[in-house]
Amino acid sequence: MTLVRRLIALALALTLALCGPAAPAADGAAHGEARLRWEQRSANRSGPLAAADALAPGLAPPPADAAVAELELAHTLHAAGSGLSLGLGLLAAHRRPEGGPGLDTSRVNELHLNWERGAWAASAGRRVVAWDVGHGFRPNDVVQQEERRTLAGLAPQGRPLLQLEYFGSESAAALVWVNPNRHGDGLSRQRGADEPALALRGYWQLGALDLHGFARAGEHTRASLGAALAWVAGDALELHASLRVLQRHDGWAVAAAADDAVVGANPWSQTTRGGAAQALVGFGWTGAARQSLIVEAWHDGTAPSDAAWRSWHARNAALVGSGAPAAARAGNLAWQATPLNGGSLRRDNLFVRLAWEPERWQLSADALLTPADGGRILTAALQWRGERWRLEAALRRYGGRGGSVIAQLPLRQQSLVMLGLMY
Amino acid sequence: MTRLPRRLAALALALAAAGSACAADDVPTLLRTADRFRSGAEHLQVETLVQTVNRDGSPDKERRYTVFLQPGHKSLVLMRSPAEAGQKVLMLDDDFWLLLPGSQRPLRITPAQKLLGEASTGDIATLRWAEDYDGQLVGEEPGEPGSAARCLHLSLQAQRRGLSYQRIELWLGQQHHEPVRAELYVQSDKLAKLARFVVDTPDAPTRVNEMVLGDRLGSHKETRVRYLSRQAREIPASWLNPMYLARNPALE
Repeated sequence: MTLVRRLIALALALTLALCGPAAPAADGAAHGEARLRWEQRSANRSGPLAAADALAPGLAPPPADAAVAELELAHTLHAAGSGLSLGLGLLAAHRRPEGGPGLDTSRVNELHLNWERGAWAASAGRRVVAWDVGHGFRPNDVVQQEERRTLAGLAPQGRPLLQLEYFGSESAAALVWVNPNRHGDGLSRQRGADEPALALRGYWQLGALDLHGFARAGEHTRASLGAALAWVAGDALELHASLRVLQRHDGWAVAAAADDAVVGANPWSQTTRGGAAQALVGFGWTGAARQSLIVEAWHDGTAPSDAAWRSWHARNAALVGSGAPAAARAGNLAWQATPLNGGSLRRDNLFVRLAWEPERWQLSADALLTPADGGRILTAALQWRGERWRLEAALRRYGGRGGSVIAQLPLRQQSLVMLGLMY
Repeated sequence: MTRLPRRLAALALALAAAGSACAADDVPTLLRTADRFRSGAEHLQVETLVQTVNRDGSPDKERRYTVFLQPGHKSLVLMRSPAEAGQKVLMLDDDFWLLLPGSQRPLRITPAQKLLGEASTGDIATLRWAEDYDGQLVGEEPGEPGSAARCLHLSLQAQRRGLSYQRIELWLGQQHHEPVRAELYVQSDKLAKLARFVVDTPDAPTRVNEMVLGDRLGSHKETRVRYLSRQAREIPASWLNPMYLARNPALE
């Protein structure tokens, strides 16, 4: 039996043993969740991957549905009186796609040594350090660079870092050296959130207003500056905004030589691009009947431009109509899905989320819209939460106008049903 | 009318006015006395158990909290039950933050979000009326309708907008001034909850052991807030900084 399977078996035994009245958890005590999840995915019949699979069946097979068993654990160990502590977060999973073999995975989400004395604190190791104020987009989340709006909402894996913090009565400062282990590595190992960087955050509480200032110096993207605020404007209304200006950024680019021709290698690669700006404004409103509304609009200047997407569409069409062998065209069309892996697909986005939480239930529906091309991602979710158990179902559909980038994504729909046991 | 009755009437009016003034001046003292039955110290750590019961009497939810109360309208609530493990609510005057275990970021929340729930964080973390309310003495009334025991009825108005209840009608025991019951009104002046206080020894009360809340706005469930233990505890200033709490430090 593999180590991961042993861990999962042990965790399941522990969770069964814990299936009694919910015991109180001391702050800093171990806690986590055991989960069973069924994931359903429907392939898109439009887009470059669908075209590739049509030309060469099996080259880009649609993603399979899968059953997943997971165990997540978080714990903090303290050496009393020393100011030292060790933070730990683990994730072990067994994934079995329909019609395929199972796969065991495990990862350390967090493992960090911490020290505190007076108003100072320091950390070293792998840790989630998440900044900024938005819900759907966080331009100033410059350390963790957490993927937003995931369907399953799992705990992220932290970044390797060294951190020093100072806490005033109504202020705080943090200095982080993220990814020090990649210092001096080749660019291919330093893209995006893997880039070594120094990041600085200042925080000030001014009554109902939280003010944040950010600075980041990346090893190859150089400097960026940012600011954010969150303001409780009324009994039920919160406003937030975030702005960041970057000297350089990592982004997808296609080799100039590829143009509309069939090529022998993936023409898409991550490159260091020029300056950009990112901005977010939004508000959250909560009603007396436990209903809530979040509305956000953002501009992400690091996403491909309108011209870049027009060129992408043109290349897709050229490849489909090319006289090259089907296998070659299929491979090139499959490579066209490369720039679809990213944060914001389009630069301008509108996000709306409605939720209602009667009793133990939470119902939510949200829409991410890309006005430039009429794309949309619609999500609906239902969750029931008991003392220890929770049940969740979620459905997400990708679509919009036929020419929109979202309508070209590999998936048309994904859904999940999940049962979780909290301990 | 002869001079003597006029003088007596004038004297009676003067005495009545003086009596009212004395009673009004005593309201802060009454509130401080009532607060001692629930808090008892300026810096406090309270272990709290909240049990919600459905209309049919069946148990619904049970939650455990550790509440740190500090002077100056500062409090920190730690959620202890598995369903909420790792969550924290920080309240500094009229400013509130929610910290969720997975997010590592403090979220600013509105007063409306703080109110949500059968027993809101305001119910759990507000143990002092003297700091937060002005009041006047309405008069002496039965503690419960039909009861022979007399109480002092106080009408309280919130000093700050961020408080869960903008108006409280409070009944205190006549002899010891322990809290007996209260009507809790929200910003819109709607009756949100009825509160009943259970003391340790009715004849010689020293502390409130339990607060029973009846919801009047939504679910009409009954919620029992039991104070399992109270101890004087001054916490470090850093615990009241939302950025420090985002580190998930040990708060023991």
